[in-house]
Amino acid sequence: MKEPSAAAKHISYFFVGIVFVLIALSFISLYQAVETYNKYKTADFINMVFSIGAIILSAYLLIQMRKQPMSLGFEQTKVYTVLRCSNCDYKNIREFQNGDYVLKKAELCPKCNNQTFISTIYREATEEEKK
Amino acid sequence: MSTETVSNVDQALTSGNDIIGSIIQILWLGFFVAYMFYGQRIQIKFMLKEIESSLFKLQLIRDRGRSLAISTIKEIGKTNNDLEVRIDRILEHLYIPPVELDPAGIIKRLEHIVDVRDFRLKDEVKLMVPQANETQVNNLANMLEAALALNQIYKLVRHFYLSGKKTSSFYIILQLQMILPDIMKESEAYASALTAFKSGQPIGDGIGALVAAKLMNGRENQEVAQDIVMSEVPIEGRLAYVLKAKGPGGNVGKPGEAIRQILEEKEGKIARMIIIDAAQKLEGEKPGEVIEGTGVAIGGPGVDKFKVEEVATKYKVPLDVILIKEGVGDVVSAMRKEISDSVDDVVNRINRIIRETTKEGDSVIIAGIGNTMGIAQ
Repeated sequence: MKEPSAAAKHISYFFVGIVFVLIALSFISLYQAVETYNKYKTADFINMVFSIGAIILSAYLLIQMRKQPMSLGFEQTKVYTVLRCSNCDYKNIREFQNGDYVLKKAELCPKCNNQTFISTIYREATEEEKK
Repeated sequence: MSTETVSNVDQALTSGNDIIGSIIQILWLGFFVAYMFYGQRIQIKFMLKEIESSLFKLQLIRDRGRSLAISTIKEIGKTNNDLEVRIDRILEHLYIPPVELDPAGIIKRLEHIVDVRDFRLKDEVKLMVPQANETQVNNLANMLEAALALNQIYKLVRHFYLSGKKTSSFYIILQLQMILPDIMKESEAYASALTAFKSGQPIGDGIGALVAAKLMNGRENQEVAQDIVMSEVPIEGRLAYVLKAKGPGGNVGKPGEAIRQILEEKEGKIARMIIIDAAQKLEGEKPGEVIEGTGVAIGGPGVDKFKVEEVATKYKVPLDVILIKEGVGDVVSAMRKEISDSVDDVVNRINRIIRETTKEGDSVIIAGIGNTMGIAQ
């Protein structure tokens, strides 16, 4: 079952490498633009705009890479348990607890002291799922 | 960039005599020639990179699923005895369907193989966790099945990826790339299922069982077939035999066998049969949408579907289905609110169908199909 996964990991290191090279080139280019301005007092706007743009873009890519860890589907979503009274209209929604199941008898009803039971267990869909 | 520079670049790009223009033209020509001869290879390289990253993700999902199964069994069984070796063996377990060359009696042979496989999986769980109760055994067996499916998916995708890479076959790679989004969606659904199975939460597939449980609530029930319970419920002056798999452990039971037995016992004196099940929604449809139809809506290898069709035809019993639409990811993950909210609508439709199509004093069968994990009776 244990197999190396270096090939797939290599893609992301390669990508990170490219981003860092891009950042380095952008800084060199920006430095040259500043040097030119200091020497000749003429601003190379296009060079500066491209350099700053490339730095912002690279920084954004790096932030995105840090921000979005690969979603595998194991993420725990909030699951709720709905308790109802078998006699009155009492209803209580709480977070799911291990051992909960539908039609399980629960605590006594605070309104009429009758037995409550779990009527439903559900999860709220994520924003991604609702799209 | 000054006006002079702009005009220089312009001149360089447009003038055929200029050296820079010539270099650019040669580069373009070179690019076209290279693309003509190596275009498909370049495309293959890009496609392989894309598949490679999906394969890596599949491997992560598979490994995480395996770890989750091991940790859950360790947690319940409090044992370490060759657990990993045993689970790895289960994850490699292969199911070989019966031969189709001679279709006569294939359903019986299929049922036998499926039964043996199910018992084997449950026996393995019992050997690993001897003190587990029935619910835990069923939930763990479901968990192992999901982990097994993830392993099979990963290995299949890897096989086609490596075959495509080895042969540089554009068509193998293209086919794999085309179905990859669906494969990834299915794998993520299995990953989500493992989390739900671990906690014993009701899953989307259990909506049929949930409806049946609501109808059976407070009534006596009895086991009529393997892992299928039945209650007699009066509805609109008719007698309904309500069926569902035995919960709250993860179970689908044998609803086909149960329906066959009831119909044979009553000698076909059943005015209507209503089957409630989850159905895959099409893109654009909303999860939890309820629709009605005719036929037998029972998933799985087809054994139960066949049995119901056969016995219903024998006694000419009209068949109705009520389907609750769900996405691929919703079927095996914890039940979405939209799906659980559809229960009242389904019950109203059952009452309406019974009222409109049967007479008072008639008997009907209502079967809630699906995995009853987290749903008792």
